[in-house]
Amino acid sequence: MKNGVKYIWMTFVLWVWALNVGATGASVVGNELQQIEDGLVVRVDSVMQQEEQEVKAFDPKATIFEHLGDEYGWTIVGNVTIPLPVIVRDNEGGWHLFSSSRLTGGKTYDGFHVAHEGDHEGKIVGVDTFGNEYRPYDFSITKNAFSVMISALITMLIVFSLVRFYRNKKYKAPRRGMGGLEMIVEMLYKEVIVSVLGKESRRYAPYLLTLFFFIFVSNMMGLVAVFPGGANVMGNMSITLVLALCTFVVINVSGTKEYWKEIFWPDVPLGLKCPVPLLPVIEIFGVFTKPVALMIRLFANMLGGHLIVLVLISLIFLFSVMGQVVLGITTVFSVSFAVFMNLIHVLIGFIQAYVFMLLSTIFIGLARVKKEG
Amino acid sequence: MSLFTPEFGLVFWMLVVFLILFGILAKYAWPAIVRMMDERADFIDKGVEYTREAKRDREKAQEEAKALLAEAHRQQLEVLQQTERLKREMIADARKAAENEAKQVREAANLSIEQSKREAELQLRKQVASLSLQIAEKVMRKDLATDKTQMEMIGRLLNELENKE
Repeated sequence: MKNGVKYIWMTFVLWVWALNVGATGASVVGNELQQIEDGLVVRVDSVMQQEEQEVKAFDPKATIFEHLGDEYGWTIVGNVTIPLPVIVRDNEGGWHLFSSSRLTGGKTYDGFHVAHEGDHEGKIVGVDTFGNEYRPYDFSITKNAFSVMISALITMLIVFSLVRFYRNKKYKAPRRGMGGLEMIVEMLYKEVIVSVLGKESRRYAPYLLTLFFFIFVSNMMGLVAVFPGGANVMGNMSITLVLALCTFVVINVSGTKEYWKEIFWPDVPLGLKCPVPLLPVIEIFGVFTKPVALMIRLFANMLGGHLIVLVLISLIFLFSVMGQVVLGITTVFSVSFAVFMNLIHVLIGFIQAYVFMLLSTIFIGLARVKKEG
Repeated sequence: MSLFTPEFGLVFWMLVVFLILFGILAKYAWPAIVRMMDERADFIDKGVEYTREAKRDREKAQEEAKALLAEAHRQQLEVLQQTERLKREMIADARKAAENEAKQVREAANLSIEQSKREAELQLRKQVASLSLQIAEKVMRKDLATDKTQMEMIGRLLNELENKE
């Protein structure tokens, strides 16, 4: 147990280090360093200058949502972008596959370009024969899709390292990182899955554990400011929607006869269900609200964390017009708060993954009701 | 804003990636991990149980050894006592046997002494009788023939003499 706490702390330190590397990386980009004593101000100022070159007035809302949103290439710093494949199907049924670097700067390729305004702002649009913009079927591997793949790979790496450990040293107690990992697995399996599902835990454990580790790894990756991380994955409705959908399917596929009976014909006075099916309607509604609540909870929590950090950093740019002193003070204030928020976010990332998995377990447990007695 | 409206492409890729991840982990990783964890927990439980049993066995063995030792002591003591008793008995027996023997020997001796005494007496009597006859013969020479009645009378006389003694 003591070891476990130690490794959680080590992880904390690691993430803080990663965050710092990210911040330093951002500062290095500024190539015209002014000689100001405060290092942080130097850093921010240089970024500011670059920012000013691109856009005249700083628009926090646009910047924040640009950072939170998805994009076709993966912008690391400034103009350094990792191109990602764009896969689209036009309205005539033809498939197009090309690199996202062909679209940078508003270029048009194969009749497709990234819309700058309108309903499809920031998305790839094609132009049909009448000259109207339309949205093609877009299967592009965007920044988020790519990030999801990286998270999946890392999850696999972590989990298989545990499997390998078990295979090699069967009856040895794991130490160091392996011990922390096993502690988490053991906690989830013994105290959540087994205590809720009992005998059926072996059947559902793979799904629930995968769920937890994938969400947790994605959340942690989202906190790393540099390339393999930094994408706002779990703060994107599309991602949490899929997870909630999977849980929804698992819950309802494993629903017993009793579960469905409680939905359509619950044990309540006849008046509540016969002429007007009041309770059945509520119950059916409940079937859908459970996963939706899961989806919104994870999405909002992770988005919130990213948003707060971005807002705090944006404050620096907003206050920068009021002179060097204010800028300096704001910078110190904002950066320390942002680091603090990031630390809290590590905790939230863990807790939200845990909660998502815990509630999924409980919902599955509720769907596996057996007739009493 | 694309954050709130699910993007079809992203949903597709996410679904694909998540299902593949789930498939791989569910097939190759989690069952193995869960099984190994259970196995190791069982192993540890068994180990603890085994140790406890071994401890109990050892205690039992120790107790048994102690009991055995006490029993041996007791037996030894008993044997010693028995030997002592046997020795005493043997000595007593031997003494008794010796006494008996001695008694028998004494009795036999007495008997033989008695017999020889009697024989000697008888012989003596015969000699005395014949001597007295010879003496009487010599004394009376004539009268006293070596008749039967005379011999009887002399025997009677001798008996009287003997009884007088």
